Amino acid sequence: MKLTRKLALLLLIGLLVPGVAGAADTVKIGLLAPLTGFAAADGLSVLNSVQLAVERVNQDGGLLGRQVELVYYDDRADGKEAVALSRKLIQQDRVAGVVGGSYSTPSRAVAPIFEDEEIPFVAAYAVHPDVTTSGKYCFRNGFLGMVEGKSAGYVSVELLKAKKIALLTSDNDFGRTLAEGFKAYLGDQGKAAQIVFEQTYPFKEKDFKPYLSKVKETNPDLLFASGYYFQTGPIVQQARELGLDVQILGEEGADSPKFLEIAGASAEGFVIVTNLDRDDPRPVVQDFLKTFEQRYQIQPDMVGASAYDAFMIICDGIRRAGSTDGPAIQQAIAATKDYNGLTGVLKGFTDIGEVVKEVQVQIVKDGRFRHFGVVQDMTLITP
Amino acid sequence: MQLFFEQLLNGIAMGSIYALVTLGLALVYGILRILHVAHAAVYTVGAYAGLFCYSYTGSLLLAFLGGMIFCSILGVAIERLVYYPLLKYPPYVPLIGSIAIMLSIEEICRLVAGPYILTFPATLPFPEFQLGGVTISSTLTAVYVITTVVLGLLWFISTKTELGLAMRATSQDIPIADAMGINSHAIVSIAFVIGSSIAAIAGILVGIYYNQVYPTMGTVPAYKTLALIVVGGLGSMPGAVIASMLLGVAETLLIGYADIPLPRDALAFIAMIAVLMWRSEGLMGSK
Repeated sequence: MKLTRKLALLLLIGLLVPGVAGAADTVKIGLLAPLTGFAAADGLSVLNSVQLAVERVNQDGGLLGRQVELVYYDDRADGKEAVALSRKLIQQDRVAGVVGGSYSTPSRAVAPIFEDEEIPFVAAYAVHPDVTTSGKYCFRNGFLGMVEGKSAGYVSVELLKAKKIALLTSDNDFGRTLAEGFKAYLGDQGKAAQIVFEQTYPFKEKDFKPYLSKVKETNPDLLFASGYYFQTGPIVQQARELGLDVQILGEEGADSPKFLEIAGASAEGFVIVTNLDRDDPRPVVQDFLKTFEQRYQIQPDMVGASAYDAFMIICDGIRRAGSTDGPAIQQAIAATKDYNGLTGVLKGFTDIGEVVKEVQVQIVKDGRFRHFGVVQDMTLITP
Repeated sequence: MQLFFEQLLNGIAMGSIYALVTLGLALVYGILRILHVAHAAVYTVGAYAGLFCYSYTGSLLLAFLGGMIFCSILGVAIERLVYYPLLKYPPYVPLIGSIAIMLSIEEICRLVAGPYILTFPATLPFPEFQLGGVTISSTLTAVYVITTVVLGLLWFISTKTELGLAMRATSQDIPIADAMGINSHAIVSIAFVIGSSIAAIAGILVGIYYNQVYPTMGTVPAYKTLALIVVGGLGSMPGAVIASMLLGVAETLLIGYADIPLPRDALAFIAMIAVLMWRSEGLMGSK
């Protein structure tokens, strides 16, 4: 009895002490990321990147004379989990802002909660339109599916000179919106190129040979394959195995060192539209790439870089607002202009909170993503 | 026509892989009447163990052996520590236990090996064939050969040896088998060794085939194999193999020819519902 009581007391103290100690002298910023479950690899990349950002800010003297403290929780890419955790971030941790380092489903679920509490929420890479329509406190640093889809169309027609295009689309919100954007662009171009094949594949597909055999029959000169690296990696690999020797174009979902590993030698010449340019000479990019690879022994990816920026955007907002007060930070973030970010120079946010910046085009050369081009056309990149 | 044959060959390869995973489940159900959901986790562990051995020794043979041994130990441990003590309860109790093991093993794989997808950069040393313009790649050949060997061995063990006789006796009635002088507990463990070894082979094959090994690779097999053993006839090994082959070919041909809006994974469950409605004992089951 005595022992259990002592233990309980110790536990209670353990729970209370950090809460008391950290209360007044730090600025707390929250992060939700999928650290376990099927999206755990993305979650880890997000957390690692944001931790580099926290170190960076604290080395430069913190915010408003205080150190920044990151409070992160694992939402398992699950909506229900994320809602409970967002309440915890608001009520227990009293964060000044939150980085949405997770997928669309949880991000959509929590956006209205932060809106109600007037806490700025910056989604790093979630693509669903509803994330920002919750209100003025919700921002997004990643591209909308439509923007990226249109840019992919532009790259196919203008940079890769395709005439006959095959679409292989991941069957979720993300893939379908990309395909919609892609087709919208081709529609605008008055049929300079035509779509000769179009099919969706289920999310957990591993065997793409049936689809690729069909693609091969239609003999296209470009294949736009949307999906995450664990989908596009096998697509590229299996296409080459089947002798399908067509230019393949992907998007930010394939922007991962794991893509290069899975596809192996087949990856050479694969092109993606994304938001991280590895050959960008700006120090903010090169420092990040170098530190990340040294620290974690793996190349950084798009989700991590986007989360890094999302965190920095909140810090930049707090700095310019000169306070940790929600409405003041919101106004500062909304007024962001030409911010020198890791994922490009942010021209600013639209009224609904969507980022406006150039879309990067990368190509795989010698087993690494390298610069291939950039989409600067404002009519394409403005959501 | 060329497209048809390409699709057919891919379908048979898919079916072979399904068959290898489903066999263990059918074997365990046949003997213990337990839905061994955690079998899919054993398959994941097999892929990891094989990859581990491969990256340390560079030998595929040792990778397969290492994976099989490790999975056998794991399978027997699950049987001794979880299923056997729970056998006296209604069937849903060991099923819940099995799901718990499945989830725990998945998370343990993540904690030990990390959440990232690992690649399995091995090439299976099998020849490539050209048949009238259709290429049978070396991975496809490997899948065919390995599956045939495994199925042949299993057929031999279960029909031509005393061990097979003892296994069949145990699956029919454990107390009677005991009375006939069969050490049924040992036979149950042997069934787990065989099933888990085959799962390891399947895990390594899939790992190499798709060049991916990751903690949640067992999720889809976990539920698809359940549908497959129902379609094949619960506990029937020939039924499980036939159902797997049919499903592999049907899925591939349907994607290849019909633009069905249903995801491929739905097909297994449509087949399961059809079987439950019209032939509830399954393709090869007995009433």
